[in-house]
Amino acid sequence: MPHLDAAYNLARWLLRNDQDAEDAVQEAYLRAHKAFSRFRGGDGKAWLMTILRNVCYTTIRKLRSHETPESFDEEIHQTVGEAEMKESFRQKANAETLHRALEKLPDEFREIIVLHDLEGLAYKEIAQVADIPLGTVMSRLARARGRLRNEIIAANARETRS
Amino acid sequence: MNHDEAAKLLGPYQDGELDLATCLKLEEHLAGCPSCRQKLAGEKELVDFIQAEAPRFKASPFLKTRLQARLRESTQPKWKWSWPIPVAFPEFAILTTVLVVGLLSSVALGLFSASTSSSLARDAVADHVRSLQVSHLVDVASTDQHTVKPWFAGKLDYSPQVVDLGPSGFPLIGGRLDVLDRRNVAAIIYQRRKHFINLFIWPSGSDPLHDRLSNQDGYHVIGWSKSGMNYLAVSELGEKELRDFVQMIQEQTVDSRPGE
Repeated sequence: MPHLDAAYNLARWLLRNDQDAEDAVQEAYLRAHKAFSRFRGGDGKAWLMTILRNVCYTTIRKLRSHETPESFDEEIHQTVGEAEMKESFRQKANAETLHRALEKLPDEFREIIVLHDLEGLAYKEIAQVADIPLGTVMSRLARARGRLRNEIIAANARETRS
Repeated sequence: MNHDEAAKLLGPYQDGELDLATCLKLEEHLAGCPSCRQKLAGEKELVDFIQAEAPRFKASPFLKTRLQARLRESTQPKWKWSWPIPVAFPEFAILTTVLVVGLLSSVALGLFSASTSSSLARDAVADHVRSLQVSHLVDVASTDQHTVKPWFAGKLDYSPQVVDLGPSGFPLIGGRLDVLDRRNVAAIIYQRRKHFINLFIWPSGSDPLHDRLSNQDGYHVIGWSKSGMNYLAVSELGEKELRDFVQMIQEQTVDSRPGE
């Protein structure tokens, strides 16, 4: 079963619970399987992730249909200033802090970090999977990392105070 | 390269996504800019931290098993389970065939058959790829032609010839029931080094395949007709090797009807 762990990892990070993630992965593989004759070469992993991502977002929309939709505006999520950059965020950060910080990120940010830093997809592949231009991949990944760094620093600060 | 431009490229630089020329320009800037160097070190620290510590969720073995079962289910022809029906009601099968043939010949036949033959090649390639993809290459695994051939008895209303090309470097791997152009067909699987060849066989009836070779998404497809049977060989092998294979199959399939 090719790319199953990668697929499950993305679905689990996006949907945040085992059951929804398993359902999404199953649905994506069945769709991929049905559509295989339309697959025109290239990288199977990126292609599978594209289908999976669509399934996940459909699920997310369904789950959150009763909530006020939160529009995603990249410009709002600004990166950190240079002064904060110099602070070593890692002083007390551990895997648990990182996990919580990642969960706090907006879906689009969490997704791009999972695709790039965890699953090792290239910018070009992410552009295909998330259906965004290459330049947006670059800027979104930078913002996502900046935001993640801020979350970690904030968590460290809370820990110090308490 | 000015400082602002450079600062934006630190992430892509760290990710190895810059082209060589931009890389060199950035490195030139980095050499003279402590602030960017520090920022780059911070970027690397963060990414290393994420890669080392972020949890990676693994699919449970249960999900894997369930998925394999579902995929296998959807790979198998749905009407495989209902195949006794046309046998139990031969009139029905004949009637359907007559209807389909009548329909085909009443449509502009030339145009129609041109498009069906390319869709046949496409279907065959899709079958071939699927057989490799979902670990469902063979239903009966055997290198013995006398095991593979009888296996089809009772599953198909014809008996495909199974020849063994092991001595010629194309060992027989087994057989599988597959669907091609909405028809149950025998698939005989051969191996060449790490590559596989799916040889689909079905009665040509009134629609014999003309000798042809096509290239579909990087797979070679060779079709021909002999002794009332249609043959379609599909593989990712090079054209020459697949031609050699086809020639050997053609030489070894016994011509039961001279003059065909």
